[in-house]
Amino acid sequence: MTSNPKGPASMTTTGMIDFRGVNKWFGPLNVLKDITLSVQPREVVVVCGPSGSGKSTLIRCINGLETIKDGDLIVDGQRLGDPATNMTRLRTEIGFVFQSFNLYPHKTALENVTLAPIHVRKIPRAEAEQAGRELLAKVGLADKVGAYPAQLSGGQQQRVAIARCLGMRPKIMLFDEPTSALDPEMISEVLDVMVAVAEEGMTMMVVTHEMGFARKVAQRVVFMDAGAIVESGTPDEFFSHPRTDRSRAFLSKILRH
Amino acid sequence: MLENFSFRTIVEYLPLFGQGLVTTVWLSALSFLGALAVGIVLCAMNLQRGWLFRVPAKAYIDAVRATPLLAQLYFLYFGLPRLGLVLPELVVGILALSLNSGAYVAEIIRAGILSIARGQVEASVASGMTYVQRMRLVILPQAFKVTIPPLLGQAIVLVKDSALLSLISVAELTRAGQLLASDRFMPAEGFLTIAAFYLLLYYCLKGLAALSARWLGTAGARL
Repeated sequence: MTSNPKGPASMTTTGMIDFRGVNKWFGPLNVLKDITLSVQPREVVVVCGPSGSGKSTLIRCINGLETIKDGDLIVDGQRLGDPATNMTRLRTEIGFVFQSFNLYPHKTALENVTLAPIHVRKIPRAEAEQAGRELLAKVGLADKVGAYPAQLSGGQQQRVAIARCLGMRPKIMLFDEPTSALDPEMISEVLDVMVAVAEEGMTMMVVTHEMGFARKVAQRVVFMDAGAIVESGTPDEFFSHPRTDRSRAFLSKILRH
Repeated sequence: MLENFSFRTIVEYLPLFGQGLVTTVWLSALSFLGALAVGIVLCAMNLQRGWLFRVPAKAYIDAVRATPLLAQLYFLYFGLPRLGLVLPELVVGILALSLNSGAYVAEIIRAGILSIARGQVEASVASGMTYVQRMRLVILPQAFKVTIPPLLGQAIVLVKDSALLSLISVAELTRAGQLLASDRFMPAEGFLTIAAFYLLLYYCLKGLAALSARWLGTAGARL
């Protein structure tokens, strides 16, 4: 496996996630246009772009929450849509953090974290609970083990959601605007956890406009507009020297605030 | 007016009303269990993507909802024997109520399942759960709570519908009222008394629902 995290995407590399000429339509709308992108193991890629540019759709394709129309999408060596690919099993290797957390409201924080490990991974309950407590402690919620989602703040819920993904010991973590639904004072507590996950070497794709996060841990920033990847580069290149008019226009809007 | 109202006769007939009440209760309970079974199967069929199960389930639900329960009951009671299947009237009655109510229960459960936020399905799909796992662990426990009030409503309807079984001579509560009305020419006493008993059953069911809601009501079960 070629490993050049900072190198450009190419057709020949086999990454952890490989988009090769991927297209997707919602009705007549071409929401993903000829996407070619390769994410290497342990690489952190931040995806940004204006609303409706296809960023969320892009990462939702990776675990099959959306299906692609044509092109190839290869995740962890398995081609999506291939009859030989067991999507349910592949999903156990991919953690997905949603903008709206989507914790199970009828389960405690600990139960949220242990549910899939126990029932999907078939880990013995005691072991899963031990691991779950450790994960909740890691995201700073050791005292919220028995709390229900409705009793937690947005930032706490999102940290439980991250712990829930980590409980499956995934190879890849996908984040779909993880801090967009949060009050400003809760954003950093979630980003801190994400930085910690990134520093442990997780392969991550993060849809976010949090530039501080991108500069800190991302090897690459991908800028999308109207369903296409317009620009791709290191955070420094992208934020300091955007190459296209569209990325400059976008950055001037998010920087103003 | 009230001087013509014979409380004494009602008291005299109380054992008959008691028997009728007991019959109404247990046959309604059995029918409701049957309706739950029918409803769960129909709902599972109805939620399938392929047409093979979905279309028959929808056709059945439409057919039941579009036709009077009395017509369905008469078909089972008078029609089936002509087709070669003779069943005791109690069995016919319970069957009719189960099959009829099951169609409504199927729609109630379906609405409950569909009311669960899409994000719940996505979160459980993303964690690698199979269809059965996410139904069992995530969707149904939440849907169950949502469906309790409408299911209670359906149970109340079922208890009242069971009065129709008096027409195929099942000795239930309404039948007891009919007997008093026809034996003694006292329809006021007969039917007012059974109305009081139905009201009693209604309050019992309401109490049951409140209990079950409290039993299911864990702190975090609110969305």
